[in-house]
Order: sequence, then C-alpha cells, then structure tokens
Amino acid sequence: MNPIIEISSVSKTYKGSLEKSLDDVSFSVTKGEKIGIFGPNGAGKTTLISIICGIIPKSDGEVQFYQDDSPILLRDMLPKLGYVPQDFSFYEELSPYQNLKYFGALYDIPQKKLEEKIDHLLNVLGLSKVKHKKVVKFSGGMKRRVNLAIGIINNPDILFLDEPTVGVDVQSKNAIIAYLEELNKNGTTIVYTSHHMNEAQEFCNQIVLIDKGTLIESDSLDNLFKKYDEQNLEHLFLRLTGIEYRD
Amino acid sequence: MQKLIASIKKEFLLLIYDKVGLLLMYLMPIILVIIITIVQDSTFKLVNENNIELLIVNNDEGNLGDTLISILEQSGTFKIEEKDGFTSKEIQKQLLNDNQMLAFEIPTKFSENLKEKARILSTSMLTEFGLFEEDSSASTPLSISPLKMYYDPVLQENFRSSIVNSIYSFLGALESKLMVEDLYAQMGIEDAPQQMESQFTENRMEIQQISANTSSNQIIPNSTQHNVPAWSIFAMFFMVISLGSNIVKERLSGSFVRLQTIPASFSLVLMSKIFIYLIVAISQLAVIFLLGKFFFPLLGLPSLTLPSNLLGLFVISFLSAFSAISFAMLVGTYAKTQEQASGFGAITVLIFAAIGGIWVPSFVMPEYLQNIGKISPLHWCLDGYYTLFLKGGEWNLLLPTILFLIIFIFVCQIFIYLKLKIQNYI
Repeated sequence: MNPIIEISSVSKTYKGSLEKSLDDVSFSVTKGEKIGIFGPNGAGKTTLISIICGIIPKSDGEVQFYQDDSPILLRDMLPKLGYVPQDFSFYEELSPYQNLKYFGALYDIPQKKLEEKIDHLLNVLGLSKVKHKKVVKFSGGMKRRVNLAIGIINNPDILFLDEPTVGVDVQSKNAIIAYLEELNKNGTTIVYTSHHMNEAQEFCNQIVLIDKGTLIESDSLDNLFKKYDEQNLEHLFLRLTGIEYRD
Repeated sequence: MQKLIASIKKEFLLLIYDKVGLLLMYLMPIILVIIITIVQDSTFKLVNENNIELLIVNNDEGNLGDTLISILEQSGTFKIEEKDGFTSKEIQKQLLNDNQMLAFEIPTKFSENLKEKARILSTSMLTEFGLFEEDSSASTPLSISPLKMYYDPVLQENFRSSIVNSIYSFLGALESKLMVEDLYAQMGIEDAPQQMESQFTENRMEIQQISANTSSNQIIPNSTQHNVPAWSIFAMFFMVISLGSNIVKERLSGSFVRLQTIPASFSLVLMSKIFIYLIVAISQLAVIFLLGKFFFPLLGLPSLTLPSNLLGLFVISFLSAFSAISFAMLVGTYAKTQEQASGFGAITVLIFAAIGGIWVPSFVMPEYLQNIGKISPLHWCLDGYYTLFLKGGEWNLLLPTILFLIIFIFVCQIFIYLKLKIQNYI
C-alpha cells in the first residue's frame, strides 16, 4: 500500500543547542494504520509530531503528504488533519460547546453539520451534561476529552495525538481509546505517542521507536515481536532503550 | 466570513469573562477621572474663590497695617483671621495644630517704614523735576522690616509663590497711594483727591485672559477639558493588562499551536482581537466623555464641551485606540508570562503617562524630559485631544499627532509580525 505520509531523513537541532533532537529519522505512514511513536522522555516524540504537523520547522530532511497517491502540500492537507497536543490547547474560560463551536468554525464546517458533530462528540465523550460549563472547572480527564474532541471536530483523515491519555483515570482512558478505535474503523489514520505500553500494545498495529533523537525500529507490532522474540511491548521497549533514567 | 465571526465571538466571550480586566478598563479610569478632576477643580476654586484662609498678626503701631488687611479682605481672595499679640512661636504652633496653612506677621514699624519709603520716593521725584533742592536723606538706603509669611511645610512652593506675588501686588498699590499722598503734601496741597487715591487700590487694570484657539466655539479651558481626554487615553492604554495577558495566556495554553494545524489564517485571530478591543477603547472613550458631559455638572464640575471638529475627534480617537491596542499586542507577543505582560505593561504605561503629560502638563517639565516625553504615544494622543478640546482642532495642528500615531502603530505591528514569524505562528 502506498504511504500517505513519507518522513525522509528528518533532523532537528534547536537554536542554541549543540545536540540534535532528531537525527536522520525516516519512516512512512500508510492509510488506516494506527502508528505508535514511542521512546523515553526526551527521545524526540513531540518534536517529531510537531515537525510532521508543521508546528515547528525541521532542520533537515523532508515530510511529504500524499492524497490519492499524489503529493500534496501540508497547507492543503490541513482541513483533513487532526491534532491533539499533549498540553490542553483550548480556552479554559469557555465551555466545551463554545470551544468546539469556535474551532469547528475555523474549519469552515457548515453550521448545522457543526452543531450535529458537536452534539455527537460531547455525547460520545461523556461531556453532554457539562457542555455549557467553563472548562476551567473540569477534572484532568474531562479536559483530556475536550482536548480530543477539538482535535477531531473536522472528521480528520489523519489524526495526530501526543500522549492523549496522560494523567487521566481508567474510565477516561478507556473512553478515549474506544473512540479512537471507532475513528480508525471509519478510516482515520492515527499517529500517536504514549508512555502506556499496555494501552499501546492493544491499540497500535505499527510501532516507531526512537531514542535520543534516533530511529531504533519502525515496523509492525507483530514483526517486532517476532524479530525480538517478545510478547510484551513494555519488555521490548526496555530491551531496546535500556533501563537507565532519562531526565 | 464564518471564521472571522467565530473568532470575534470568541474574543468577545473571553473579554466579558475577564471581570478583573473589565474593571481595570472601565471602572478604574472612571474613578480616576472623577477624583482627579474634582481635585484640580478644588485647587482652582481655592485660589480663585476666596477660600484661602490667612492668619494675620498685626503688630503695626500705625494704621497702614489695618489698611493692608482691609485691601486684602476687599480683594476677595482671602478669608482673614486676625490674632493680636501672637509671637513667632505661637504663630507657628497655630499653623501646625490648626487647618490654617498661611500666616502673615505685620511688623511694628510697618506704617512708619512705608511712609518713609513714600517720602523718599516723592522727594526724589520732586528733586528730579527741579522743584526741590537735592536732599541727601533721599539717597540714604532705608532699612525696612520685612513682612513675615509663615506657612505649613506641606504647602507647595508654587502655591506659596502665587500668594507672595498677590501680596506684593497689593503692597505695591498701597505704596503708590502713599507716594501720591506724600507728593501732594510736599507740594503744599493738604489732601490728595480722594478719587485719585482710590484709583490705586480699587480700579486696578484688569487682565483679560483669552485662550488661543482656532474654533468659533468658545472653549473654556478647565479641569474637565484637561482631564477627560487625558484619562481617557490612560484608560485605553491600560488595556495592556487585559489584552497583553490575554495574548500570553492564549499562547501558553497552546491555542496558538493548535491554530497552526487548522486551515485558518493567524491574521484572522489578530484582526478579531483588534476589532473587539477597538470597540472596547471607543466605548471607554464614549463612557468617559458622557460622564464629563452629563455627570460632572451634577458634581459641581464644569461640563465637557465637545470639539467642533467631530471628524478630527473620530480620527484621533481611532488612532489613539489603535495605538493602545498595538502596544498591548506588542507587550503580549514579547512577554513570556502573564505576570510579565501585566507588570511590564502597566509600569510602561505609567511611565509613558508621566512623561507624556497625563498627570502634570509637559510644559512644566525640564526641557530634556519634554524631549524624552515625545517618544510616549500617550503624549501624542494627548496632544491631539488638546488640539481638539482646547485649541479648536484645525487639521494642520492635528497632522503631527496623526503622523506620529500612524508610525507608532506601524512599528508595533512590524515587531509583532517579526516575533510571530520567528515563533513560526505566521
């Protein structure tokens, strides 16, 4: 199957830093995949996702998007791209409804369709009862779900999630993962990062492992398990990245 | 269009939910403009409406001390309280313990000294005219005991100076009257005509004050005409706390980052901010102007007279508002934290206000500070409003203000663009 994103020899050196945060990273994403980008703290996961989404510029290499096997500019891909950042990226003074209405309007979604989509998302993610309450008063789990809802308001073809389940309770985590599964079944390609290896093992079918800015492995979960004769992603992760602290 | 409307609506919601910001932008300047205008108006009334309380200790052995007191009373400037036999220490104690701020002690030889001075002057004049032979006593320096003015140490120097000058002018009239009397006496005429004597003290030459202005409207400069525009400008620029913090908060919350992954122009966000805060600034102006027009008279303050050049008022108001917004956006773009934005922004506006002549007029400042003050956008906004509210508002007088404000806005927007470009938001 042809890729929808091709990442070729991407490197990043931040201003004022001598070390490369990403060094010659290459892999590809094909349609319908659930790719997990994993690595210890500081490995370069967020930097990699940020470069792919055009949030920060790369120092070297290329990121190419494809639509119907033809190259397409990121700018033209944005209407069908979803992004759920690690930090809560919304207006806490506003309600979930007001946030979704604002970000949805920026995608130029027609009013009626937008209202229906907002209702659906708030319902599925368990936020209907609090849709007019200010987000600032919400728990961490509720805020995560608002963060996710905004990222998928446009029914994205490709969804990037940077640690979408960090710091949430089991109920919120299950709700988020269940909805991501549903999105994927409906055709959304998912690229996500996480530190929860059990969750990732159940959710992802493709793994990209990076450490200290360098790509260690990029393959399907099954192939990696076969290659290293492992049945547990966490064990495999520790085997490939080591057990020492990464602060 | 849907994007722009949504963005404006979002800005509006963020604004109305920021209760502290709204209070700072509307209530604080209203309180300030009322208090400062009342204070300045009271100062004006204190000097002009017979409110200066004066304690006088008259030790004069003659009658001229009483005459001086009578002239001062008739002048309508002072409320006089006489005390007999007070010593210097007692006068000072009285000033420190009571509400009185000023006291005069008339020396014992006051009448004698004044008469002697008048005699010497009239003799000199008659000698000059060749009517008398030269009198050596006329050239002998006269030792005159001074009038002593005691004052409360909190009394400001400029106020003391104006009182001293006022007393000097009344003393001058008294001295002239004495000199004429003496001239008549020395020429053997028993009494100077009463009418002539009274000319010196009563029919003084009036000074008509005419405010330079190019308008056909008679605009009377007063505390309202000065303070309403000044504090309206201050209010507009104080939005740096709300708007500056709002931008930092939005950036730190990651909303700007999310915008990078959405097919919406970043300039849309900036435009909606400018639009909403322009409305805020214009409404601030409207509220304060309406207060000046209709509420101030209820407080006994002069009513605000709007300028005849209403288009000029709109242009200067628009540019002032846009300058304030550009400055706030600049601070918000460069500040790393909300505390930095509100702290730096507020202090900078206070400094700009001080050197720009919002609190005290620029012309009383040293020349170097007046020159430094020209970098303050508040100075130029105030200059524009003074041209409109006090000088008649001709376009050629408004032109320097318009040019400076356009340049200021342009420079701010360039720096905002560069910073956002560096941060990859644009």
